[in-house]
Amino acid sequence: MTDTYKILVVDDEPDLEPLVLQRMRRQIRSKEYEFVFACNGVDALEKLNADPTIDMVLSDINMPKMDGLTLLQQLPDVDPNLRAVIVSAYGDMDNIRTAMNRGAFDFVTKPIDFDDLKITIARTLEHLAEWREALSSRDQLVALQNELSIASQLQQSILPRIPPVTEGCEVSANMEPARNVGGDFYDYFKLDDYIGLVVADVSDKGIPASMFMMSSRTALKGAAIGVREPEQVLTEVNNQLQQDNPTFMFVTLIYALFSPDSGTLTYSIAGHDPPLLVSADGSVTELPLTKGVALGIAPDVVYTQETVTLDPGDTVVLFTDGVTEAMNTDNQQFGMSRLTEVFDGNPPESATTANEAVFEHVRKFAGDAPQSDDITCLTLRRP
Amino acid sequence: MEFSHDRSGDTLVVNASGRVDGSNASDFLESLQGMFDPGDQRIILDLGGLEYISSAGLRVLLMAAQNLDKQNKSFSICSLTEAVGDVFRISGFDQIINVFPSVDDAKQG
Repeated sequence: MTDTYKILVVDDEPDLEPLVLQRMRRQIRSKEYEFVFACNGVDALEKLNADPTIDMVLSDINMPKMDGLTLLQQLPDVDPNLRAVIVSAYGDMDNIRTAMNRGAFDFVTKPIDFDDLKITIARTLEHLAEWREALSSRDQLVALQNELSIASQLQQSILPRIPPVTEGCEVSANMEPARNVGGDFYDYFKLDDYIGLVVADVSDKGIPASMFMMSSRTALKGAAIGVREPEQVLTEVNNQLQQDNPTFMFVTLIYALFSPDSGTLTYSIAGHDPPLLVSADGSVTELPLTKGVALGIAPDVVYTQETVTLDPGDTVVLFTDGVTEAMNTDNQQFGMSRLTEVFDGNPPESATTANEAVFEHVRKFAGDAPQSDDITCLTLRRP
Repeated sequence: MEFSHDRSGDTLVVNASGRVDGSNASDFLESLQGMFDPGDQRIILDLGGLEYISSAGLRVLLMAAQNLDKQNKSFSICSLTEAVGDVFRISGFDQIINVFPSVDDAKQG
C-alpha cells in the first residue's frame, strides 16, 4: 500500500492514546495508518479543519464540550466523504442507533477489542477507497458527457441558420438531433447563380461519426466550389473520403444544385433516399434515384445525376431516414407513405411551412417513443 | 437478433433474423465473427428473416465483407426481404457486396 490512511481518534480518556499507539504499532510502522488524537468534539473539529488529509474518525460518545453524537452531525460540513466509527458502551442501543442515523459507518463497543477494531477500521477504509473510486469514475463519466455535449453543440453549430435570400428560391432546413451525438447534417450555400443543397447521414453515432461528418461536410463544400456538376462533386468527395477510412464509416447524401432563374434542379445521390417532389397541384412523387454508392466505402464509384425543372409552386423535400424510420410506441415506422400523405393534395405555401409540416407529423406520430436517430429535413420551393 | 448456422465442406451459411440498428450492431459483428472458422472459404449470409437494417448494420456487413475479402474468402448475402432489399439498393451496397436471390443461387455464384 502506498497511501497512508490518517485516522482521528476522539476520546476524553488520556489512556487511550498510548494504548492505540501501542496496539497499532505494526500498522503505524508500515505506514499503513497514521493516528491523530483529539480530546473532545470541539478539539476534533479544529483538527479536522486544520488537516484535510484525515480519512476517518473514531469517536467516543460521552465527552465534555461536544459529545460524539453532536460531532457526527458536524462531520458532513467538514468533508462529506469522511467516514466515522463510534465507540459506545456495550449494549447502549439507543446511542448506537442515533449514531447510525447520523451517518456513522460502524461502531465498536467498550472495552475496545483491538482485533475487532482492526477489522472495523480495515472494512471502513476499504469502503472509503471504493467510494472514492466510484466518485472518480463518476467524475470521468461527467467529463465524458460534457465532451459529448460539446461535440453535439459543434455538430449543431456548423449547420447554417439563415437560408440564402434569392428571388425565385425558398429554402428551409432543420435537424433535430437524437440524444446521442449523431451524424446528420444539412447545408446550403450560394454558388454564383446557383444554390447548393445538401442533406446527409453518417453511419453510426458518437464522436467518431461527428468527426467523419465534419470532414464530409468540408470535403463536399470544397468540391462544390471547384466543380459544377453534382455527379463530379460526389465522385471527388468519395475519392477523398475512401482514401483513408479504416473505421469503415460512410455517409449517404444528396447534393443538389438549383437554379432560381430557370427552376432546374440537378441532383446526385450517394446511397441516400431519393427526394420527394410535391407539385403545385398537390401530387407527390419520388424523384428518380441516381447511380451511386454511399460515400467513403469504395474507390472509383460512378455517380450519375438527374435534372428536373420545378414549376412555380413546386416543392422538393430532402430528408434523412430519421424521418421515415421514426418509430411510434407500437414500434411502427413513420415510413414513406406517411411522409407522402403529409403533402398529398396539400401543396405547401412556403418552404418553411413544408418543413414544419414534416417535423410536426413525425413528432405527432412518434408520441412518447424515444427518438433514436437524428431527424433532418430540407425543403426547397420555387415560389 | 437471432442467428443459426450450417456448415457443409468449406461453405458456411449463416441465418440472421430480427432487426439490426445502432443498439445491437456491435453484437451483430461479434456474433458474426464468432461463427467464422479458419477453414471456411465461402460465407453466405441468409438475411431472409431480417426485418430491418440501419446504416450501423450496413457498416458491420461492410467490415465483414472487406475482412473476408482480404483473406481471399468469398462473402455474399441472399434472400433479402423487400424492405432490406430497398436499403441495399438505395445505399448502393448491392454494388459493393454480392447479393443473390437465394442460398442456392449464392452457392452457385
